[in-house]
Amino acid sequence: MAYFFQYLIYGLQLGSVYALLALGYTMVYGIVGMINFAHGDFLMIGALGTYFIARAFEGFQVNSAFPMLIVGIIIIVAMVGTGAIATGVEAIAYRPLRNKPRMIALITAVGVSMFLENFPRALPFIGPNPRSFPTLFRGKSLNVFGATITTTQIIMILLAVITMLLLYLVVNRTKIGSQMRAVSMDKDAASLMGININRVISITFFIGGALAAVSGICYASAYPQVDVYMGSWLGNMSFVSAVLGGIGDIRGAMLGGFILGIAQIFATAINSTFGYAVGFIILIVILLVRPAGIMGKLVVEKV
Amino acid sequence: MAMLEVNDLHVSYGAIKAVQGVSFKLDKGEIVALIGSNGAGKSTILRTISGLERAKSGSILLEGTELTKLKAHKIVEQGIAHVPEGRRVFPGLTVTENLRMGANLIKNKAEISAEMEKIFDIFPRLKEREKQQAGTLSGGEQQMLALGRALMTEGKLLMLDEPSMGLAPIIVEEIFEIIKKINAEGTSILLIEQNAFLALNTASHAYVLETGKITMQGSSQELLNDERVKAAYLGA
Repeated sequence: MAYFFQYLIYGLQLGSVYALLALGYTMVYGIVGMINFAHGDFLMIGALGTYFIARAFEGFQVNSAFPMLIVGIIIIVAMVGTGAIATGVEAIAYRPLRNKPRMIALITAVGVSMFLENFPRALPFIGPNPRSFPTLFRGKSLNVFGATITTTQIIMILLAVITMLLLYLVVNRTKIGSQMRAVSMDKDAASLMGININRVISITFFIGGALAAVSGICYASAYPQVDVYMGSWLGNMSFVSAVLGGIGDIRGAMLGGFILGIAQIFATAINSTFGYAVGFIILIVILLVRPAGIMGKLVVEKV
Repeated sequence: MAMLEVNDLHVSYGAIKAVQGVSFKLDKGEIVALIGSNGAGKSTILRTISGLERAKSGSILLEGTELTKLKAHKIVEQGIAHVPEGRRVFPGLTVTENLRMGANLIKNKAEISAEMEKIFDIFPRLKEREKQQAGTLSGGEQQMLALGRALMTEGKLLMLDEPSMGLAPIIVEEIFEIIKKINAEGTSILLIEQNAFLALNTASHAYVLETGKITMQGSSQELLNDERVKAAYLGA
Protein backbone atom coordinates (compact mmCIF):
# COMPACT_ATOMS: atom_id res chain seq x y z
CA MET A 1 0.00 0.00 0.00
CA ALA A 2 2.78 2.39 0.94
CA TYR A 3 4.53 1.48 -2.31
CA PHE A 4 1.36 1.97 -4.29
CA PHE A 5 0.92 5.43 -2.86
CA GLN A 6 4.56 6.31 -3.38
CA TYR A 7 4.44 5.27 -7.03
CA LEU A 8 1.17 7.11 -7.53
CA ILE A 9 2.84 10.34 -6.39
CA TYR A 10 5.78 9.79 -8.73
CA GLY A 11 3.30 8.98 -11.49
CA LEU A 12 1.33 12.15 -10.90
CA GLN A 13 4.53 14.16 -10.97
CA LEU A 14 5.72 12.67 -14.26
CA GLY A 15 2.15 12.82 -15.53
CA SER A 16 1.95 16.55 -14.93
CA VAL A 17 5.13 17.00 -16.98
CA TYR A 18 3.64 15.00 -19.86
CA ALA A 19 0.26 16.68 -19.55
CA LEU A 20 1.72 20.20 -19.74
CA LEU A 21 3.79 19.29 -22.75
CA ALA A 22 0.97 17.38 -24.43
CA LEU A 23 -1.18 20.51 -24.22
CA GLY A 24 1.24 22.30 -26.52
CA TYR A 25 1.15 19.46 -29.06
CA THR A 26 -2.59 19.30 -28.97
CA MET A 27 -3.21 23.06 -29.20
CA VAL A 28 -0.87 23.48 -32.15
CA TYR A 29 -2.42 20.46 -33.86
CA GLY A 30 -5.92 21.76 -33.18
CA ILE A 31 -5.20 25.18 -34.62
CA VAL A 32 -2.64 24.70 -37.38
CA GLY A 33 -3.21 21.02 -38.12
CA MET A 34 0.46 20.08 -37.79
CA ILE A 35 2.43 17.97 -35.33
CA ASN A 36 5.18 20.21 -34.02
CA PHE A 37 7.91 17.66 -33.40
CA ALA A 38 10.10 20.45 -32.02
CA HIS A 39 7.72 20.95 -29.13
CA GLY A 40 9.71 18.71 -26.77
CA ASP A 41 12.69 20.97 -27.30
CA PHE A 42 10.72 23.89 -25.91
CA LEU A 43 10.75 21.94 -22.63
CA MET A 44 14.54 21.75 -22.87
CA ILE A 45 14.77 25.49 -23.59
CA GLY A 46 12.55 26.16 -20.58
CA ALA A 47 14.58 23.95 -18.27
CA LEU A 48 17.99 25.06 -19.53
CA GLY A 49 16.81 28.67 -19.52
CA THR A 50 15.66 28.32 -15.94
CA TYR A 51 19.11 26.98 -15.05
CA PHE A 52 20.76 30.13 -16.40
CA ILE A 53 18.15 32.49 -14.98
CA ALA A 54 18.48 30.85 -11.56
CA ARG A 55 22.25 31.28 -11.73
CA ALA A 56 21.78 34.95 -12.52
CA PHE A 57 19.56 35.27 -9.45
CA GLU A 58 21.99 33.34 -7.22
CA GLY A 59 22.59 36.40 -5.05
CA PHE A 60 19.02 36.20 -3.73
CA GLN A 61 19.50 32.74 -2.27
CA VAL A 62 18.87 32.27 1.43
CA ASN A 63 20.34 29.07 2.91
CA SER A 64 21.01 27.83 -0.65
CA ALA A 65 17.33 28.10 -1.62
CA PHE A 66 15.34 30.88 -3.24
CA PRO A 67 12.58 32.88 -1.54
CA MET A 68 9.13 32.15 -3.04
CA LEU A 69 8.91 35.56 -4.73
CA ILE A 70 12.18 34.99 -6.57
CA VAL A 71 11.09 31.48 -7.61
CA GLY A 72 7.93 33.02 -9.03
CA ILE A 73 9.95 35.59 -10.98
CA ILE A 74 12.33 32.92 -12.31
CA ILE A 75 9.42 30.77 -13.50
CA ILE A 76 7.66 33.69 -15.18
CA VAL A 77 10.84 34.86 -16.95
CA ALA A 78 11.42 31.30 -18.19
CA MET A 79 7.81 31.01 -19.39
CA VAL A 80 7.88 34.32 -21.25
CA GLY A 81 11.28 33.57 -22.78
CA THR A 82 10.32 30.10 -23.97
CA GLY A 83 6.99 31.39 -25.25
CA ALA A 84 8.80 34.07 -27.24
CA ILE A 85 11.17 31.49 -28.77
CA ALA A 86 8.22 29.25 -29.70
CA THR A 87 6.49 32.22 -31.36
CA GLY A 88 9.69 33.01 -33.24
CA VAL A 89 10.03 29.42 -34.45
CA GLU A 90 6.48 29.53 -35.83
CA ALA A 91 7.02 32.86 -37.59
CA ILE A 92 10.33 31.86 -39.16
CA ALA A 93 9.94 28.16 -39.89
CA TYR A 94 6.25 27.23 -40.04
CA ARG A 95 4.34 30.30 -41.23
CA PRO A 96 5.81 30.35 -44.75
CA LEU A 97 4.70 26.71 -45.16
CA ARG A 98 1.19 27.08 -43.81
CA ASN A 99 -0.62 26.40 -47.07
CA LYS A 100 1.79 23.75 -48.28
CA PRO A 101 1.08 20.00 -47.93
CA ARG A 102 1.22 18.82 -44.32
CA MET A 103 4.19 16.53 -44.87
CA ILE A 104 6.39 19.54 -45.60
CA ALA A 105 5.59 21.17 -42.26
CA LEU A 106 6.16 17.86 -40.49
CA ILE A 107 9.62 17.41 -41.97
CA THR A 108 10.43 21.03 -41.19
CA ALA A 109 9.44 20.40 -37.57
CA VAL A 110 11.90 17.52 -37.37
CA GLY A 111 14.57 19.85 -38.77
CA VAL A 112 13.69 22.58 -36.29
CA SER A 113 13.98 20.02 -33.51
CA MET A 114 17.48 19.05 -34.63
CA PHE A 115 18.45 22.70 -34.83
CA LEU A 116 17.12 23.51 -31.37
CA GLU A 117 19.08 20.61 -29.89
CA ASN A 118 22.35 21.08 -31.71
CA PHE A 119 22.64 24.84 -31.93
CA PRO A 120 22.85 25.32 -28.14
CA ARG A 121 25.11 22.29 -28.03
CA ALA A 122 27.52 24.18 -30.27
CA LEU A 123 27.39 27.33 -28.17
CA PRO A 124 30.44 27.45 -25.89
CA PHE A 125 28.56 28.60 -22.79
CA ILE A 126 25.98 25.81 -23.09
CA GLY A 127 27.66 22.84 -24.71
CA PRO A 128 26.78 19.15 -24.65
CA ASN A 129 27.46 18.37 -21.00
CA PRO A 130 24.61 17.83 -18.58
CA ARG A 131 24.29 20.31 -15.73
CA SER A 132 22.69 19.81 -12.40
CA PHE A 133 19.53 21.79 -12.01
CA PRO A 134 19.50 24.16 -9.01
CA THR A 135 17.17 23.53 -6.12
CA LEU A 136 14.53 26.18 -6.50
CA PHE A 137 13.04 25.52 -3.11
CA ARG A 138 14.10 23.54 -0.14
CA GLY A 139 11.52 20.81 0.17
CA LYS A 140 10.39 19.23 3.41
CA SER A 141 9.54 15.57 3.49
CA LEU A 142 6.15 14.48 4.69
CA ASN A 143 5.07 10.99 5.56
CA VAL A 144 1.66 10.05 4.20
CA PHE A 145 0.40 6.43 4.54
CA GLY A 146 3.99 5.30 4.77
CA ALA A 147 4.97 7.07 1.53
CA THR A 148 7.40 9.96 1.44
CA ILE A 149 6.19 13.07 -0.28
CA THR A 150 8.23 16.23 -0.58
CA THR A 151 6.72 19.68 -0.57
CA THR A 152 8.50 20.26 -3.88
CA GLN A 153 6.49 17.43 -5.41
CA ILE A 154 3.26 18.85 -4.10
CA ILE A 155 4.10 22.35 -5.31
CA MET A 156 5.06 21.09 -8.76
CA ILE A 157 1.90 19.01 -9.17
CA LEU A 158 -0.20 21.95 -7.98
CA LEU A 159 1.64 24.32 -10.32
CA ALA A 160 0.88 22.01 -13.24
CA VAL A 161 -2.77 21.59 -12.31
CA ILE A 162 -3.29 25.35 -11.79
CA THR A 163 -1.61 26.12 -15.12
CA MET A 164 -3.93 23.64 -16.85
CA LEU A 165 -7.03 25.09 -15.21
CA LEU A 166 -5.94 28.59 -16.28
CA LEU A 167 -5.49 27.39 -19.83
CA TYR A 168 -8.92 25.78 -19.79
CA LEU A 169 -10.44 29.07 -18.64
CA VAL A 170 -8.54 31.06 -21.25
CA VAL A 171 -9.70 28.80 -24.07
CA ASN A 172 -13.32 28.56 -22.96
CA ARG A 173 -14.06 31.90 -21.33
CA THR A 174 -12.02 34.63 -23.01
CA LYS A 175 -12.23 36.40 -26.33
CA ILE A 176 -8.85 35.16 -27.50
CA GLY A 177 -9.93 31.65 -26.47
CA SER A 178 -13.04 31.76 -28.60
CA GLN A 179 -10.98 33.18 -31.46
CA MET A 180 -8.64 30.20 -31.07
CA ARG A 181 -11.56 27.80 -31.24
CA ALA A 182 -12.95 29.58 -34.30
CA VAL A 183 -9.57 29.45 -36.08
CA SER A 184 -9.27 25.74 -35.27
CA MET A 185 -12.67 25.05 -36.84
CA ASP A 186 -12.44 27.17 -39.98
CA LYS A 187 -9.60 29.56 -40.83
CA ASP A 188 -11.28 31.22 -43.81
CA ALA A 189 -14.51 31.84 -41.94
CA ALA A 190 -12.51 33.15 -38.97
CA SER A 191 -10.67 35.71 -41.08
CA LEU A 192 -14.00 36.80 -42.58
CA MET A 193 -14.99 37.69 -39.01
CA GLY A 194 -12.03 40.07 -38.81
CA ILE A 195 -9.88 37.67 -36.77
CA ASN A 196 -6.16 38.06 -37.41
CA ILE A 197 -5.20 34.42 -37.96
CA ASN A 198 -1.46 35.02 -37.67
CA ARG A 199 -1.90 36.72 -34.32
CA VAL A 200 -4.03 33.87 -32.97
CA ILE A 201 -1.49 31.29 -34.12
CA SER A 202 1.40 33.29 -32.60
CA ILE A 203 -0.44 33.44 -29.27
CA THR A 204 -1.10 29.69 -29.44
CA PHE A 205 2.60 28.98 -29.90
CA PHE A 206 3.44 31.42 -27.12
CA ILE A 207 1.10 29.64 -24.69
CA GLY A 208 2.42 26.24 -25.82
CA GLY A 209 6.01 27.39 -25.22
CA ALA A 210 5.18 28.85 -21.82
CA LEU A 211 3.50 25.60 -20.74
CA ALA A 212 6.50 23.65 -22.00
CA ALA A 213 8.72 25.81 -19.78
CA VAL A 214 6.61 25.00 -16.71
CA SER A 215 6.77 21.36 -17.71
CA GLY A 216 10.57 21.55 -18.00
CA ILE A 217 10.83 23.14 -14.55
CA CYS A 218 8.60 20.42 -13.07
CA TYR A 219 10.67 17.71 -14.71
CA ALA A 220 14.03 19.15 -13.75
CA SER A 221 12.89 19.63 -10.16
CA ALA A 222 12.18 15.91 -9.99
CA TYR A 223 15.15 14.67 -12.02
CA PRO A 224 17.63 17.51 -11.54
CA GLN A 225 19.80 17.11 -14.60
CA VAL A 226 19.43 19.26 -17.71
CA ASP A 227 21.04 18.93 -21.14
CA VAL A 228 20.23 19.88 -24.71
CA TYR A 229 18.73 16.50 -25.61
CA MET A 230 16.38 16.12 -22.66
CA GLY A 231 13.39 17.32 -24.68
CA SER A 232 13.42 14.65 -27.31
CA TRP A 233 12.37 11.60 -25.25
CA LEU A 234 9.96 13.66 -23.13
CA GLY A 235 8.54 15.20 -26.30
CA ASN A 236 7.88 11.76 -27.75
CA MET A 237 6.16 10.58 -24.60
CA SER A 238 4.00 13.71 -24.50
CA PHE A 239 3.09 13.21 -28.13
CA VAL A 240 1.92 9.71 -27.17
CA SER A 241 -0.09 11.30 -24.33
CA ALA A 242 -1.74 13.73 -26.71
CA VAL A 243 -2.66 10.91 -29.11
CA LEU A 244 -3.87 8.76 -26.23
CA GLY A 245 -6.18 11.52 -24.98
CA GLY A 246 -7.32 12.44 -28.48
CA ILE A 247 -5.14 14.92 -30.32
CA GLY A 248 -6.72 18.35 -30.65
CA ASP A 249 -8.64 17.98 -27.38
CA ILE A 250 -7.35 19.90 -24.36
CA ARG A 251 -8.98 17.72 -21.69
CA GLY A 252 -7.70 14.68 -23.58
CA ALA A 253 -4.11 15.92 -23.42
CA MET A 254 -4.30 16.37 -19.66
CA LEU A 255 -5.91 12.98 -19.14
CA GLY A 256 -3.49 11.24 -21.52
CA GLY A 257 -0.50 12.84 -19.78
CA PHE A 258 -1.51 11.65 -16.34
CA ILE A 259 -2.43 8.14 -17.55
CA LEU A 260 0.90 7.74 -19.31
CA GLY A 261 2.92 9.18 -16.41
CA ILE A 262 1.31 6.85 -13.90
CA ALA A 263 1.53 3.85 -16.23
CA GLN A 264 5.20 4.48 -16.88
CA ILE A 265 6.10 4.71 -13.20
CA PHE A 266 4.23 1.52 -12.33
CA ALA A 267 5.77 -0.28 -15.30
CA THR A 268 9.23 0.88 -14.25
CA ALA A 269 8.54 -0.48 -10.77
CA ILE A 270 7.95 -3.91 -12.30
CA ASN A 271 10.92 -3.78 -14.65
CA SER A 272 13.00 -0.73 -15.45
CA THR A 273 13.28 -1.53 -19.17
CA PHE A 274 9.56 -2.14 -19.42
CA GLY A 275 9.05 1.46 -18.25
CA TYR A 276 10.50 2.72 -21.50
CA ALA A 277 8.37 0.42 -23.60
CA VAL A 278 5.03 1.05 -21.97
CA GLY A 279 4.44 4.36 -23.75
CA PHE A 280 4.81 2.78 -27.15
CA ILE A 281 2.71 -0.22 -26.19
CA ILE A 282 -0.07 2.18 -25.17
CA LEU A 283 0.36 4.07 -28.44
CA ILE A 284 0.02 0.91 -30.52
CA VAL A 285 -2.98 -0.33 -28.56
CA ILE A 286 -4.79 3.01 -28.73
CA LEU A 287 -4.18 3.28 -32.48
CA LEU A 288 -5.61 -0.19 -32.97
CA VAL A 289 -8.57 0.07 -30.63
CA ARG A 290 -9.54 3.73 -30.61
CA PRO A 291 -7.50 5.68 -33.17
CA ALA A 292 -9.15 9.01 -32.32
CA GLY A 293 -8.04 8.75 -28.69
CA ILE A 294 -10.04 8.67 -25.48
CA MET A 295 -11.77 12.05 -25.88
CA GLY A 296 -11.45 12.35 -29.64
CA LYS A 297 -14.19 11.87 -32.16
CA LEU A 298 -13.45 10.21 -35.46
CA VAL A 299 -13.76 12.78 -38.20
CA VAL A 300 -15.43 11.48 -41.30
CA GLU A 301 -13.90 13.22 -44.28
CA LYS A 302 -16.57 14.55 -46.61
CA VAL A 303 -15.96 13.77 -50.22
CA MET B 1 -18.59 57.17 -56.19
CA ALA B 2 -19.51 53.55 -56.62
CA MET B 3 -19.80 51.38 -53.51
CA LEU B 4 -17.69 48.70 -55.16
CA GLU B 5 -15.66 48.95 -58.31
CA VAL B 6 -13.72 46.01 -59.70
CA ASN B 7 -11.36 46.78 -62.59
CA ASP B 8 -9.68 44.25 -64.87
CA LEU B 9 -9.31 41.65 -62.12
CA HIS B 10 -7.12 38.61 -62.76
CA VAL B 11 -6.83 35.68 -60.32
CA SER B 12 -4.96 32.42 -60.85
CA TYR B 13 -4.59 29.16 -58.96
CA GLY B 14 -1.13 28.11 -60.08
CA ALA B 15 -1.40 27.72 -63.84
CA ILE B 16 -5.19 27.85 -63.85
CA LYS B 17 -6.58 31.26 -64.73
CA ALA B 18 -9.78 31.39 -62.71
CA VAL B 19 -10.65 35.04 -63.31
CA GLN B 20 -9.47 36.80 -66.47
CA GLY B 21 -10.02 40.53 -66.63
CA VAL B 22 -13.33 40.96 -64.86
CA SER B 23 -14.72 44.48 -64.34
CA PHE B 24 -18.00 45.45 -62.73
CA LYS B 25 -19.46 47.95 -60.35
CA LEU B 26 -22.12 48.21 -57.72
CA ASP B 27 -23.75 51.44 -56.53
CA LYS B 28 -24.70 52.21 -52.98
CA GLY B 29 -27.96 50.54 -51.95
CA GLU B 30 -28.05 48.28 -54.99
CA ILE B 31 -28.31 44.50 -55.29
CA VAL B 32 -26.04 43.25 -58.06
CA ALA B 33 -25.90 39.59 -59.08
CA LEU B 34 -23.13 37.57 -60.69
CA ILE B 35 -24.60 34.57 -62.45
CA GLY B 36 -22.94 31.73 -64.27
CA SER B 37 -22.40 28.00 -64.11
CA ASN B 38 -20.10 26.00 -61.85
CA GLY B 39 -16.45 26.95 -62.22
CA ALA B 40 -17.15 30.25 -63.95
CA GLY B 41 -15.10 32.04 -61.29
CA LYS B 42 -17.91 33.60 -59.25
CA SER B 43 -16.73 32.40 -55.83
CA THR B 44 -13.14 33.26 -56.68
CA ILE B 45 -14.18 36.85 -57.32
CA LEU B 46 -15.85 37.10 -53.91
CA ARG B 47 -12.92 35.38 -52.19
CA THR B 48 -10.53 37.84 -53.81
CA ILE B 49 -12.62 40.84 -52.78
CA SER B 50 -12.55 39.70 -49.16
CA GLY B 51 -8.82 38.88 -49.26
CA LEU B 52 -8.98 35.08 -49.02
CA GLU B 53 -7.31 34.88 -52.43
CA ARG B 54 -4.70 37.26 -53.86
CA ALA B 55 -5.37 39.12 -57.10
CA LYS B 56 -2.70 38.69 -59.77
CA SER B 57 -3.53 42.10 -61.16
CA GLY B 58 -6.35 44.59 -61.30
CA SER B 59 -8.00 46.68 -58.64
CA ILE B 60 -10.88 46.41 -56.20
CA LEU B 61 -12.14 49.70 -54.78
CA LEU B 62 -14.58 49.92 -51.89
CA GLU B 63 -15.81 53.52 -51.80
CA GLY B 64 -12.47 54.46 -53.31
CA THR B 65 -10.30 52.39 -50.93
CA GLU B 66 -8.05 49.85 -52.64
CA LEU B 67 -8.56 46.38 -51.14
CA THR B 68 -6.21 44.14 -53.12
CA LYS B 69 -3.21 44.83 -50.89
CA LEU B 70 -5.06 44.38 -47.59
CA LYS B 71 -5.22 41.23 -45.47
CA ALA B 72 -8.58 39.51 -45.02
CA HIS B 73 -9.14 40.69 -41.44
CA LYS B 74 -8.39 44.29 -42.45
CA ILE B 75 -10.87 44.10 -45.33
CA VAL B 76 -13.62 43.19 -42.85
CA GLU B 77 -12.80 46.42 -41.01
CA GLN B 78 -13.28 48.32 -44.27
CA GLY B 79 -16.88 47.14 -44.33
CA ILE B 80 -17.12 43.96 -46.37
CA ALA B 81 -19.30 41.21 -44.93
CA HIS B 82 -18.92 37.91 -46.76
CA VAL B 83 -21.22 34.92 -46.36
CA PRO B 84 -19.07 32.18 -47.88
CA GLU B 85 -20.19 29.30 -50.05
CA GLY B 86 -21.45 26.38 -47.99
CA ARG B 87 -22.28 28.70 -45.07
CA ARG B 88 -19.18 27.81 -43.04
CA VAL B 89 -20.63 28.41 -39.58
CA PHE B 90 -18.37 27.32 -36.70
CA PRO B 91 -19.87 23.87 -36.03
CA GLY B 92 -18.63 23.46 -32.45
CA LEU B 93 -19.70 26.91 -31.27
CA THR B 94 -23.23 27.74 -30.16
CA VAL B 95 -25.49 30.07 -32.13
CA THR B 96 -24.72 32.94 -29.75
CA GLU B 97 -20.97 32.27 -29.89
CA ASN B 98 -21.10 32.25 -33.69
CA LEU B 99 -22.86 35.60 -33.71
CA ARG B 100 -20.40 36.99 -31.20
CA MET B 101 -17.57 36.01 -33.60
CA GLY B 102 -19.12 38.39 -36.10
CA ALA B 103 -18.92 41.12 -33.49
CA ASN B 104 -15.17 40.73 -33.18
CA LEU B 105 -14.50 44.29 -34.25
CA ILE B 106 -17.06 45.86 -31.92
CA LYS B 107 -15.44 46.83 -28.63
CA ASN B 108 -18.51 48.02 -26.73
CA LYS B 109 -20.40 45.19 -24.98
CA ALA B 110 -23.76 46.98 -24.93
CA GLU B 111 -23.47 47.53 -28.65
CA ILE B 112 -22.82 43.81 -29.19
CA SER B 113 -25.98 42.84 -27.27
CA ALA B 114 -28.03 45.44 -29.12
CA GLU B 115 -26.68 44.17 -32.43
CA MET B 116 -27.46 40.59 -31.41
CA GLU B 117 -31.05 41.53 -30.49
CA LYS B 118 -31.43 43.02 -33.96
CA ILE B 119 -30.27 39.75 -35.54
CA PHE B 120 -32.70 37.77 -33.37
CA ASP B 121 -35.48 40.11 -34.53
CA ILE B 122 -34.67 39.33 -38.14
CA PHE B 123 -34.23 35.60 -37.47
CA PRO B 124 -36.52 34.58 -34.57
CA ARG B 125 -35.59 30.94 -35.33
CA LEU B 126 -32.01 31.63 -34.21
CA LYS B 127 -33.27 32.99 -30.89
CA GLU B 128 -35.02 29.66 -30.25
CA ARG B 129 -31.77 27.82 -30.95
CA GLU B 130 -29.54 30.28 -29.04
CA LYS B 131 -27.64 27.68 -26.98
CA GLN B 132 -27.50 24.98 -29.63
CA GLN B 133 -24.25 24.07 -31.40
CA ALA B 134 -24.26 25.42 -34.94
CA GLY B 135 -23.29 22.03 -36.38
CA THR B 136 -26.61 20.58 -35.24
CA LEU B 137 -28.76 23.18 -37.03
CA SER B 138 -30.64 22.46 -40.24
CA GLY B 139 -29.27 23.81 -43.53
CA GLY B 140 -31.71 26.71 -43.59
CA GLU B 141 -30.95 27.64 -40.00
CA GLN B 142 -27.23 27.49 -40.72
CA GLN B 143 -27.73 29.84 -43.67
CA MET B 144 -29.63 32.22 -41.40
CA LEU B 145 -26.82 32.01 -38.86
CA ALA B 146 -24.18 32.64 -41.52
CA LEU B 147 -26.17 35.69 -42.67
CA GLY B 148 -26.69 36.90 -39.11
CA ARG B 149 -23.01 36.43 -38.30
CA ALA B 150 -22.02 38.46 -41.36
CA LEU B 151 -24.51 41.20 -40.45
CA MET B 152 -22.89 41.41 -37.01
CA THR B 153 -19.75 42.78 -38.67
CA GLU B 154 -21.83 45.86 -39.62
CA GLY B 155 -20.49 45.89 -43.17
CA LYS B 156 -21.58 48.36 -45.83
CA LEU B 157 -21.46 45.69 -48.50
CA LEU B 158 -22.85 42.20 -47.96
CA MET B 159 -21.55 39.50 -50.30
CA LEU B 160 -23.62 36.32 -50.53
CA ASP B 161 -22.21 33.19 -52.13
CA GLU B 162 -24.99 30.82 -53.21
CA PRO B 163 -27.40 31.45 -50.34
CA SER B 164 -29.93 29.03 -51.87
CA MET B 165 -27.53 26.10 -52.15
CA GLY B 166 -28.96 22.83 -50.84
CA LEU B 167 -32.07 24.41 -49.30
CA ALA B 168 -35.74 23.52 -49.70
CA PRO B 169 -37.65 25.96 -51.98
CA ILE B 170 -39.78 27.29 -49.13
CA ILE B 171 -36.67 28.11 -47.06
CA VAL B 172 -35.01 29.72 -50.09
CA GLU B 173 -38.04 31.97 -50.44
CA GLU B 174 -37.83 32.93 -46.78
CA ILE B 175 -34.11 33.70 -47.01
CA PHE B 176 -34.53 35.82 -50.12
CA GLU B 177 -37.33 37.82 -48.48
CA ILE B 178 -34.89 38.58 -45.66
CA ILE B 179 -32.14 39.50 -48.13
CA LYS B 180 -34.48 42.03 -49.75
CA LYS B 181 -35.40 43.41 -46.36
CA ILE B 182 -31.74 43.83 -45.39
CA ASN B 183 -31.17 45.66 -48.66
CA ALA B 184 -34.19 47.90 -48.08
CA GLU B 185 -32.59 48.98 -44.81
CA GLY B 186 -29.59 50.33 -46.70
CA THR B 187 -27.02 47.52 -47.06
CA SER B 188 -25.65 47.07 -50.58
CA ILE B 189 -25.55 43.44 -51.71
CA LEU B 190 -23.39 41.50 -54.14
CA LEU B 191 -25.13 38.20 -54.83
CA ILE B 192 -23.83 35.04 -56.44
CA GLU B 193 -26.36 32.48 -57.57
CA GLN B 194 -26.51 29.47 -59.80
CA ASN B 195 -30.27 29.85 -59.76
CA ALA B 196 -30.32 32.64 -62.33
CA PHE B 197 -34.05 33.14 -62.22
CA LEU B 198 -33.95 33.79 -58.49
CA ALA B 199 -30.91 36.05 -58.82
CA LEU B 200 -32.41 38.15 -61.60
CA ASN B 201 -35.64 38.55 -59.68
CA THR B 202 -33.74 39.84 -56.65
CA ALA B 203 -31.04 42.02 -58.20
CA SER B 204 -31.46 45.25 -60.11
CA HIS B 205 -28.41 44.64 -62.23
CA ALA B 206 -26.53 41.49 -63.19
CA TYR B 207 -23.38 40.23 -64.86
CA VAL B 208 -23.08 36.86 -66.60
CA LEU B 209 -19.79 35.09 -66.05
CA GLU B 210 -18.35 32.34 -68.25
CA THR B 211 -14.96 30.71 -67.64
CA GLY B 212 -13.57 33.71 -65.84
CA LYS B 213 -14.87 36.41 -68.17
CA ILE B 214 -17.97 38.59 -68.19
CA THR B 215 -19.94 37.81 -71.33
CA MET B 216 -23.12 39.79 -70.73
CA GLN B 217 -24.42 42.47 -68.46
CA GLY B 218 -27.45 44.64 -68.02
CA SER B 219 -30.47 45.33 -65.90
CA SER B 220 -32.13 42.20 -64.57
CA GLN B 221 -35.18 42.87 -66.70
CA GLU B 222 -33.10 42.96 -69.90
CA LEU B 223 -31.31 39.75 -69.00
CA LEU B 224 -34.53 37.96 -68.05
CA ASN B 225 -35.81 38.68 -71.56
CA ASP B 226 -32.54 37.92 -73.35
CA GLU B 227 -32.80 34.83 -75.54
CA ARG B 228 -29.25 33.64 -74.84
CA VAL B 229 -29.71 33.97 -71.07
CA LYS B 230 -33.04 32.18 -71.32
CA ALA B 231 -31.48 29.33 -73.22
CA ALA B 232 -28.38 28.94 -71.10
CA TYR B 233 -29.52 29.76 -67.59
CA LEU B 234 -33.28 29.91 -67.31
CA GLY B 235 -34.00 26.57 -68.90
CA ALA B 236 -36.58 28.01 -71.28
